[in-house]
Amino acid sequence: MKKKLLVAALTILITAVIGVWFFVFYKPTHFKRDVADEKGISISAPDLVKAFQENETAANTTYLDKSVEIKGEIVEAKPDQSGLTMLTLKSNDAMAGVLCTLKSADPTLKPGQTITVKGICTGFLSDVVLKEAIIVK
Amino acid sequence: MGAINTTTTAQNLHSTKAAKIRFFSSLAAEDIEATNSQAVSKLDTKSGAINFIVLINGFVFENELMQKHFNEEYMESTKFPKSEFKGLITNLSAINFSKNGSYPAIVSGSLTIRGITQPVKATGSIIIADGKISVKSIFKIKVKDFGIAGSDIGKSIANELEITVTSLYD
Repeated sequence: MKKKLLVAALTILITAVIGVWFFVFYKPTHFKRDVADEKGISISAPDLVKAFQENETAANTTYLDKSVEIKGEIVEAKPDQSGLTMLTLKSNDAMAGVLCTLKSADPTLKPGQTITVKGICTGFLSDVVLKEAIIVK
Repeated sequence: MGAINTTTTAQNLHSTKAAKIRFFSSLAAEDIEATNSQAVSKLDTKSGAINFIVLINGFVFENELMQKHFNEEYMESTKFPKSEFKGLITNLSAINFSKNGSYPAIVSGSLTIRGITQPVKATGSIIIADGKISVKSIFKIKVKDFGIAGSDIGKSIANELEITVTSLYD
């Protein structure tokens, strides 16, 4: 009986130690955020641009650092300095759009295509900017 | 007349939405580095004006926890989402934008981080290759100049950060 209790106590202790180590030390530093695992806020490219143009502070509260899933038409597709594909999606304003840098290069994407892209919203410059984006469809 | 003015402006005005800004903090204990490849930059080869604007949330760290601390504790990126540099190339006459080559450049301007603006001087090079202009610069800033405080400054985060800028204009 005593032995059983000891084994049970040890098992709990070891599990607790591993648990603490994993969640407190390992996971926060090794975990990499991946938009593929996150449910993005769905919005169209013109609506997202409009939200930032109308009230940037409010839009930042809603979208900053969040996964956003955007449907839009590609107006420009080109590689950045590191060779990653940069897409600009059309809005109702010719001077602004949604700028997405994809996680990996995709040279097949061309202007005129309508796509759905998911990425992390980093804010608004001349365009709404999305980083680490992936093509959903 | 208006149309002619627009044409001349377009010729000396260069821009990119994909300038790369990297910062690096080196201490014996730990290296910290993050990169943002979505900075907007504009360069006017006529006046020598050069600007950069970057979203703080766009800096990507290898270590996700560092990225969280950077945004939430040190930079307060929800409150101060952008950082901006406005500068002027002070040795503009030494740069021939129509001839291939690498020209040393001196830039003097102001850098705004967390809503605090400080004067910054940087040296770098401007590279002209077949009509394409690119800019490279490495300079240092003092963390405390921008009111970035915390017990880790000087311990696991260096007092001075090295900033590397590489910008290839469209």
